[in-house]
Amino acid sequence: MKKKILVIDDDLNIRDYLVSLFNDNGYQAYVAGDVKEGFKKAKETIPDLITLDIEMPGEWGPRFYRQISQDPELKNIPVIVISGLSGHQYAVVKAVASLTKPFDRDELLKIVKETLN
Amino acid sequence: MAKQILLIDKDKNHAGALKTYIERQQYDVTCATTFEEVKHKLDNNSWDIILGDPFMSEGMSSCLESVKRANPVVQIIILAQKDKLDTAMDIFGSSVIHYLEIPANSKALDLALTAACIIISQNKKINWYSQKLADLDNTQNLLNQMFEEVPCYISVQDQNLRITAANKRFKYHFGSQIGGHCFEIYKHRTSQCNDCPVVETFQDGKSHSTEEIVTSKFGKQYNVLTQTAPIRNEKGEITQVMEMSTNITQIRQLQDHLVSLGLMIGSMSHGVKGMLTALDGGIYQLETGLAKKDDDRVFKASGQIKTMADKIKKMVLEILYYAKSRELQYKEMTVATLAENVVATIKQMAKNHAIKLNILIPKTFGKIEVDPNWMEAALVNFLENAVDACVFDRDKKEHRIKFEVTKNLKNQICFAIEDNGIGMDTETKNKMFTLFFTSKGSQGTGLGLFIAHRVIKYHGGTVDVESEQGKGSQFFICIPFQKPDNAKIVEFPGADH
Repeated sequence: MKKKILVIDDDLNIRDYLVSLFNDNGYQAYVAGDVKEGFKKAKETIPDLITLDIEMPGEWGPRFYRQISQDPELKNIPVIVISGLSGHQYAVVKAVASLTKPFDRDELLKIVKETLN
Repeated sequence: MAKQILLIDKDKNHAGALKTYIERQQYDVTCATTFEEVKHKLDNNSWDIILGDPFMSEGMSSCLESVKRANPVVQIIILAQKDKLDTAMDIFGSSVIHYLEIPANSKALDLALTAACIIISQNKKINWYSQKLADLDNTQNLLNQMFEEVPCYISVQDQNLRITAANKRFKYHFGSQIGGHCFEIYKHRTSQCNDCPVVETFQDGKSHSTEEIVTSKFGKQYNVLTQTAPIRNEKGEITQVMEMSTNITQIRQLQDHLVSLGLMIGSMSHGVKGMLTALDGGIYQLETGLAKKDDDRVFKASGQIKTMADKIKKMVLEILYYAKSRELQYKEMTVATLAENVVATIKQMAKNHAIKLNILIPKTFGKIEVDPNWMEAALVNFLENAVDACVFDRDKKEHRIKFEVTKNLKNQICFAIEDNGIGMDTETKNKMFTLFFTSKGSQGTGLGLFIAHRVIKYHGGTVDVESEQGKGSQFFICIPFQKPDNAKIVEFPGADH
């Protein structure tokens, strides 16, 4: 069965990009445009990995991370931060990786592969 | 120093005897026995006392008169024959200190010389005081000029914070209400400000400084750096405090401008990162679409790449616009071409977000004079905002944008842009054309609508907005057909701050 990846990003073009990239590489991608939708999708799909943007309209990424950390079903799901903000101070504390846009496609796939294995 | 006496007497013996007598009283005496000798000595020396006979020879009395006129401090004692004294008094009157008859009575001579010395010393004192008074007057004038002309707002305040004196600049900007409270005049407040530096100076006698925003009588706000200093009486008690405020508005504006520039660069670099990622995504979709022979993916990818290229172009244009003033390059083009170019740019973006476009462009409006680059960029900006307003709206299932070209009663061309997106609250509506204001978080630079509005304004046009939060917005952009006479240069945005 394909591993499920939830992509949370407010930019439609970047969502489309990540979905194609993950689907093309043998994963099943789901998308959410903001934190609220992201939490709902996470509960529905229980993904194996989440990629998370930090700066989004409304609630920001770290709040989403706090929410899933407190949820017994979701708290162990690995999170990769993909954000335009650079600097580790913005990164989610326990993220498995933090990538700055524009990210390197192969590097992302490598991290995803290692995390999911 | 001994007083210098010129003794005028044609009788050498008498003169010699007098000289001997007077020198015993600690005076320096010089004798002159001929008119020529007198003239020579008067020309070459300065004398404290002249003692002598004005009738010694012809011209002597007028000579003495002119000496007294030229040098009023010199004291003259007349020594004359008894029958000439009356005549001497008629000639010299009170300008002479004493009249003595020959032969001189030694007591009368002593008294006359003493009186002359007293007057000389009094005159010296008066001269000294006069000089001091003149110096004081000069100093006061100088201080007054400094107080009035110093390029700061200066006020002197009493314990109740009432202004007891103010300089010219203060009076010009804040009015000349001497006796009014500082907080009323400076800040239009009814009570004392918190942490008032004047109160602190009254308490501890030290100078204090604060930065304040004050409002002039013309309603203009200034940032001022305020410093205080105590004014003490002769006992050392603080009776008043001087408050000196320097206008630093321009410095603060420049600082704000620099902060804004910093924010803009930060926001732009974030925007650029997003665009580059999306461009990367477009290229990936294109490559994989071609490899998979997936036409849909290829089509979608090319749309995405085009959108990103347009976005980057727009951002570069905005930066260029921000960077320097430029003259609008007017060209004649048909209204239909202008409108169609704008629509062509926005079509893909609307399609990507499944927004329905309703376009109404009549072909009958003929030609218009505009700078096509800027006008198209401005109109695209308004349309892009309509798209964003739809994208941000999560409540409605279907979104649409209407773009209609009409003519108004002033015979201007009007572009009406209507969307059923997220709409605006009053604050957003009021600030939407302000530099660096954005409601789009990281996706906006706060430059787009500011510049778009400026471009319309410099084309002699107007922008009217109607909006309701949750329902949508309508923009009416109207511009004249011909280029206006007074709107050629698009200015650097910070220049009119």
